Amino acid sequence: GDALRAFHTAIRSSPANMKSQAMKEQAQGTMLKVLTSFKSSEIEQAVNSLDRNGVDLLMKYIYKGFEKPTENSSAILLQWHEKALAVGGLGSIVRVLTARKTV
Amino acid sequence: MAYHSFLLEPISCHAWNKDRTQIALCPNNHEVHIYRKDGAKWSKVHELKEHNGQVTGIDWAPESNRLVTCGTDRNAYVWTLKGNAWKPTLVILRINRAARCVKWSPRENKFAVGSGSRLISICYFEQENDWWVCKHIKKPIRSTVLSLDWHPNNVLLAAGSCDFKCRIFSAYIKEVEERPSPTPWGSKMPFGELMFESSSSCGWVHSICFSASGARVAWVSHDSTLCLADASKRMAVTSLCTETLPLLAVTFITENSLVAAGHDCCPMLFTYEESQGVLTFGGKLDVPKQSSQRGLTARERFQNLDKKASSDTANATLDTLHKNSISQISVLAGGKANCSQFCTTGMDGGMSIWDVKSLESALKDLKIK
Repeated sequence: GDALRAFHTAIRSSPANMKSQAMKEQAQGTMLKVLTSFKSSEIEQAVNSLDRNGVDLLMKYIYKGFEKPTENSSAILLQWHEKALAVGGLGSIVRVLTARKTV
Repeated sequence: MAYHSFLLEPISCHAWNKDRTQIALCPNNHEVHIYRKDGAKWSKVHELKEHNGQVTGIDWAPESNRLVTCGTDRNAYVWTLKGNAWKPTLVILRINRAARCVKWSPRENKFAVGSGSRLISICYFEQENDWWVCKHIKKPIRSTVLSLDWHPNNVLLAAGSCDFKCRIFSAYIKEVEERPSPTPWGSKMPFGELMFESSSSCGWVHSICFSASGARVAWVSHDSTLCLADASKRMAVTSLCTETLPLLAVTFITENSLVAAGHDCCPMLFTYEESQGVLTFGGKLDVPKQSSQRGLTARERFQNLDKKASSDTANATLDTLHKNSISQISVLAGGKANCSQFCTTGMDGGMSIWDVKSLESALKDLKIK
């Protein structure tokens, strides 16, 4: 319910063109909080509710989250990664690697 | 699907002759080998040794039966068959980096070479001097030109390059042809004029292809996307983010359907819906034979769990026909408007011929429009 709505809002308001590093870090922090607040069983449903661009964006955030691991973040992120991979395929990971505009 | 393994090395590039009885290919070295079909076998009939660097592009002109090859030695050679031997003619490209791709124009009076010098050389034969002359298209290319394709009007040339863009240039040479008539891509076409430039995707453009009518151009890039620009919709670009690894080659098989292949080692069908201007994935064209699922013994199960942390019975070997990335697709029969056969070559040294009709009947939900 709430977590799902927060998730969609975070995805929609992500800084595609933001140049300020501080804002990007803030958005990343918010995204991480939302992602960790999900129960494992709800992750699949959340990923299925995204469109193709949303899945690509989610993958970018997941990899960004991997870069700076905190206490429990990696485990949750790996679960998100598995579900996002099932929907987005290897192509979504390739797009994370080739993207010129980072989140 | 007929698969023939030519070598253990990758096939860098290939080209077919007009009646599809001979194939010229580069076995990842400085030479070009020509094989002829002898019943069910392929026998090597010619070895063309002139290049000093790897041959990166071969094209075989069907009507005039000439070969053009280009390589990393910054040269291109035009080969003509004299008696039973191929005789090369050097073409000075005036480039200072490797040549990457070469294509004869539809009327075979000129050819285009894309190179790492960030320019395209358009070469034509000057009768008075008995010599191939070349002109350069430079602006605004910022990086290596990886792929080229000619428009059926013999003037427009599409180029995909490493600066993430697909561009259409005019390669009008007044010495060899008359003024072209207006096309949906534009009416004024002086040499080197940029008719269309795509907004950046985020990957190197590996392969580019005009449709049979020339009204559409499609390209695949390294960020796993397939894009199409439709001139009849005011050059609107539609792109599809695929779920696969990056594609390396693409061709139209009808006006609305494309076949693309790449690092996933199997060709895939894509369809362009003109009314909505949307590209969709039509399915993989390589249906692996159902290998018998032998049950895993308990020991194997534990070994899997230990090694791969999963008790998955999935095979670690590739089920596709090609065992390594497919690097080039060529249309064999039917042209780009109604292709009935196409051929793929790849980094596994194998060449495979695909029959569209049998694919349609084998894969029931495949719809080729």
